[in-house]
Amino acid sequence: MSRKRALVNDLYKSKKRICAALNSDAKNSDLITEEAGSSYKADDIPCDTKVALLHLQGLFPVDRFDDRIPAMIIKHQLYSILPNRTLVDKQLNDLKNDGEVKLFKLGVDMDDYCIMFTSDYKAHVQGVMADLGTPKPVIEKFTQSLITKHRDVCISKETLMEEYQFTDQEITHLVKASVLTVKTIGGWWIAVPNAGIFMKSFLRGRKALLRMISKSKYREILRKELEQRKWPKICKLGLMYHLHDVIGADLIQCIETTSGQLLRLKDS
Amino acid sequence: MLNFLSSRESGIDDPNLLRGYESTKRAVSLELSKHRDVERVHYGGVNSLDLDVVESRYLLSGTTDGTVHIHDTVNLTGDVKFTLKALANVSRSNKHKHKHSVETVQWYPLDSGMFLSSGGDKQLKVWDTNSMVPVDEYEFKGIIYSHHMSAIAVKHSLVAAGCHSSSLQLVDLKSGSASHMLKGHQGSIFSVKWSTRDEFLLASGSADNRILLWDIRSSKGPMMHLDQHNGLESDNYFDGCTSHGGYVNGLCFTQNGLHLLSYGTDNRLRLWNTTTGQNTLVNYGRIRNDSKKCVQFSVFNGSRTNFVFVPEASNIKVFDMHNGNRLSILRGHYTQVNCCKLHRDYQELYSGGNDCNILIWTPETDKAYDDHIKAQKREQPASGRSERNSFVRRTGATNDTWSSDEEES
Repeated sequence: MSRKRALVNDLYKSKKRICAALNSDAKNSDLITEEAGSSYKADDIPCDTKVALLHLQGLFPVDRFDDRIPAMIIKHQLYSILPNRTLVDKQLNDLKNDGEVKLFKLGVDMDDYCIMFTSDYKAHVQGVMADLGTPKPVIEKFTQSLITKHRDVCISKETLMEEYQFTDQEITHLVKASVLTVKTIGGWWIAVPNAGIFMKSFLRGRKALLRMISKSKYREILRKELEQRKWPKICKLGLMYHLHDVIGADLIQCIETTSGQLLRLKDS
Repeated sequence: MLNFLSSRESGIDDPNLLRGYESTKRAVSLELSKHRDVERVHYGGVNSLDLDVVESRYLLSGTTDGTVHIHDTVNLTGDVKFTLKALANVSRSNKHKHKHSVETVQWYPLDSGMFLSSGGDKQLKVWDTNSMVPVDEYEFKGIIYSHHMSAIAVKHSLVAAGCHSSSLQLVDLKSGSASHMLKGHQGSIFSVKWSTRDEFLLASGSADNRILLWDIRSSKGPMMHLDQHNGLESDNYFDGCTSHGGYVNGLCFTQNGLHLLSYGTDNRLRLWNTTTGQNTLVNYGRIRNDSKKCVQFSVFNGSRTNFVFVPEASNIKVFDMHNGNRLSILRGHYTQVNCCKLHRDYQELYSGGNDCNILIWTPETDKAYDDHIKAQKREQPASGRSERNSFVRRTGATNDTWSSDEEES
């Protein structure tokens, strides 16, 4: 009830904007104005979504996978950290258009995108293609032009041949390196090589977490209790990573109680 | 509040500002009405609700057993606690009633002397309200999931009916012809809505996951299709340009006609810009939609924000339209909610569901009646009635009807 009242008051009272340098939470670069003596440059301070992405990147255990894949983040994990979904979508879109992150579609079953930092993706792709023995000019062309310029999740044959000047043979090399995966006759998804390792771990971990919660009494558990439970070693991604995923995908309802956050499995 | 009143008096603020503030505050704080309910006359789940356009007084409801009922929402009893009386109906004994369920009902937009109903028996019937006899009947080839008549139309009186097997037909009430067909969909059409801004613009959502916008004056085909990815992700026409990942169940234009909301079985609600056809990408989260027929939802037009009331399973969720925040959940129905209709002036919501109930949701700021009852109780002198009450209280509550152990031993 008080939340509704606060909302209506928000609509009609003008909020005084405090300088963002003093307010440690809001790191939105738009709020930095001409405050005298401020030593921050507007572009240096990352936006909320970027901070959340960096945090999730830190959670991802790259060492457990023997460095075979870089840090991958699922888009709906951001929704569990930041409250306003539309703002997250908008800022993510801006980051994608600036070329800082790349979005990928991981498979037909997954309805959400996977996010990766462009620099990580470039390094990973170069490593994989070098190991496979793809000719160097192809690697160069791909990393220099395609990764930096192309913002979409998919690409068609015409675009590849005309805009980026790839020949049929070069396209075959790319498909062999699993950087391009088949979508339709004349189109491909831009993909992450070795993504299968991640998918296996991810699906296993998600099932394990949901099973843990469904076995609890009344299919609900306090977050503190869940974090103390033993996590199976097979699922390499870690409890926190899966928790963010499952909350953001709306499979679990978060209810604030007096003893902390309660996680309840949704009936559907 | 006093600040607003004084600045309105002195002319600093526009008079509509106070009105907008109060109505938005009321619309946000809806809860199940404690003092009003609808007289129970339904024997089937309520599929569709409509309020007449002229006075917003008469509530028309269509049910799954083919009956249609009309209730009067105005309170003339003088008492705050009141039940909406059922005035007239097309009952089960009426020989003109629909043979199967009634899917959509709508008042004639110009007055409440006529209403239209359509349903599972493939017929669209036009009824005279005073005699409860159908004046005209139109037969279609498939069951009609949804029909709509434009409320702002001056130059035409067309009813758009969306049927099974992808046929979208326009019925002209003036001439009685039902021959104008709009071809473009590839699956059953679940919902049709006329624009609230342009009397020739029609939006239709169907089982082929697409929403098409039609200008009915042109004979070429759909004017525009709404693409959820805004042109990215696919160059191919057949794969891309779907509006949802599942069937499009519900459509609603905002009052100014600039935005269109669509609700689909991919559990998403999407907001579209009507002029450009772009998806505004507002994220409302996952809203479960298991309904296999048209879902009716409504939008409240506040002064700075709009609120969307969407049925989800047995609850109704309230969202801020432009930034996608969920404001509240209205819980009250026992089973699936099929339709919700907002009263234009009073910020009240009427919702109907498969549990044969119509529930009324009123703003919680109306506490005047509860205070009045409390004040009455305090003032009441020690009359015989209150003595009896206190006697009952002293003896009744703590005793049980089993014999006590002391007596037995």
